[in-house]
Amino acid sequence: MTAPVPLLSVENLTITYASDAGPVQALRAAHLTARAGEVIGIVGESGCGKSTLASALINLLAANARVTSGAVRLRGQDILTLPEDAKRAIRGRHIAMVFQDPMTSFNPVLPLGAQLTDFQHHLPQTRAEKRTRARAMLARVGIPDPDLVLTRFIHELSGGMRQRAAIAAALLMTPDVLVADEPTTALDVTMEAQIIHLLRALRADHQGTILIVTHHLGVIGELCDRVYVMYAGQVVEEATVDDLYHAPRHPYTRALIACDPAHLETHTPVLPTIPGHLPDLTAPPPGCSFANRCPLVTSRCHTAPPPWVRLSDTQAALCHEVAP
Amino acid sequence: MTALYDVKNLSVDLTLPQGLVGMLLPGSKPKLNLLKAISLTLNQSETFGLVGESGSGKTTLARAMLGLLPISGGQLAFEGQPLTSSRSFTPLRRRAAMMFQDATASLSPRMTVGALLAEPFHIHRQPLPDPNAMAASLLARVGLPAAIAGRFPHELSGGQARRVGVARALALNPALVIADEPTAGLDVSVQGEVLNLMTALKADLGLSLMIITHNLAMVRHVSDRIAILYLGRLMETGPTRAVFARPAHPYTQSLIASEPQPDPRKRRTGPAISGEIPSVLNRPAGCAFHSRCPRAAALCRHTTPELRDLGQGRAAACHFAELT
Repeated sequence: MTAPVPLLSVENLTITYASDAGPVQALRAAHLTARAGEVIGIVGESGCGKSTLASALINLLAANARVTSGAVRLRGQDILTLPEDAKRAIRGRHIAMVFQDPMTSFNPVLPLGAQLTDFQHHLPQTRAEKRTRARAMLARVGIPDPDLVLTRFIHELSGGMRQRAAIAAALLMTPDVLVADEPTTALDVTMEAQIIHLLRALRADHQGTILIVTHHLGVIGELCDRVYVMYAGQVVEEATVDDLYHAPRHPYTRALIACDPAHLETHTPVLPTIPGHLPDLTAPPPGCSFANRCPLVTSRCHTAPPPWVRLSDTQAALCHEVAP
Repeated sequence: MTALYDVKNLSVDLTLPQGLVGMLLPGSKPKLNLLKAISLTLNQSETFGLVGESGSGKTTLARAMLGLLPISGGQLAFEGQPLTSSRSFTPLRRRAAMMFQDATASLSPRMTVGALLAEPFHIHRQPLPDPNAMAASLLARVGLPAAIAGRFPHELSGGQARRVGVARALALNPALVIADEPTAGLDVSVQGEVLNLMTALKADLGLSLMIITHNLAMVRHVSDRIAILYLGRLMETGPTRAVFARPAHPYTQSLIASEPQPDPRKRRTGPAISGEIPSVLNRPAGCAFHSRCPRAAALCRHTTPELRDLGQGRAAACHFAELT
């Protein structure tokens, strides 16, 4: 298999946030590759850097964030170093995002129809044509009465309908990359199942790649092809979704899966946990970030940074103790 | 086992706001029925799970049980004492504590943790000879260092705030703790810590625990019995293991089937349940669930099913419960 330029790649990306306690190293040499047609999962707990990575992908980093090294490449071109107007041309059109809370991703005082028309400002069509496109997209994402919804304000929709509308808005420009940050976290379980089903149906007619950023292993298991596991700002494991669940290699991945109550088949009144805390990211440890919580820890884990060990074509882990 | 809290046929209505004409006209005021005909029993030293989607009335039921909302019908009894007037709830509030949903927001931002832990003693005029020692011992019980007593709520992490909530609930040695979404917003590794702490305290102190949640994967492991609510109606109740092994109500079946599976080999093909939870303003006639039920028959559209006793402590409000 000759590897052409991947649709999206993140290389060695390091991002720090300025804070009173000194720079917080939110992302340390993060990397990922996404090819057209793939659904990629990025999973981790709070503070692992997954949202920073998502913001970097769509070029919406906070004002106090600084990219100290690395690149985000769309078809080989680094989008982080582009001038501001070129960044704007990519955002929405080539890389679009679905946020966790659809309520705040729409303007509360404009009807949805006006916003969905404005979102297509890159296109040459007339407003009437754009409105027809918006209507078709709302129907596509399973909104039963799209004509009515076009006249509605976001607060008039239910939670599930809001998230459908947000997905429709992101897909309007047929982006190459769709980033969904915790797309089902704000929803009830029956709505969550419907949105998962919708995203799965959409990937069939979506030519690009979908990145799902979540803490929920269930969403990963239902939706993704390949997964990147993050911990303390680093990518600690990369695997196919099947290997990740059935043959995880990094001790953190193993512990994370063991903690998920959905993983436990038998009645377990005392739930498994991961003892210890995240390291302080203003001064990350010189060795492995997971060393103080790891069951396999040895003395070198505290002193030397762990290597990125390639275990197979599709699996790799950032650990001293995994053998290929 | 004896009943600690007995709820019989509870209804809660909300009087709707109305215009001037409505105020002047005689006759009944328009009402919104939030809970109807809820009967359940909490036993001594058991963990009871109250499950349902948003808007199902879980929190309303808990608030009514603590006298924080006026009830419009039915009987409540705590430790055999009927709760009839608002005054009769005063002794109950000393013996039953609530952990509110948003752990950080439920702690007063201008009080230190130490002052927050002393507050229940002042409110209920209980002797508190040494507030500092009491704060330290309560914090030790929930696994926090005594130094936390000097902190303000905004200086706590999500897991720490949750633990302070547990400590505050335990301050007056309650017989019952009602925990509203005790793990919402917590990482999966921390969620286990908080639940294990509550389970251990329950065993040590012999208290009963009512856990309100929409997280089925979690409640399945930590609760002894569960009740499932939908649109303010009790759909099913019974021992947790039996309900999960063979759910009798179609709503319970769809809820369990909607849970995303972390194992990609168990991926579902379609969503288990279509449609959305209707508004309480527009409650379906007959069975509240018939509009989404795969088994709905003509009977379900006009006749509300009673809660049917299925034996072995189980009951379900479905015309076809015996056929499952």
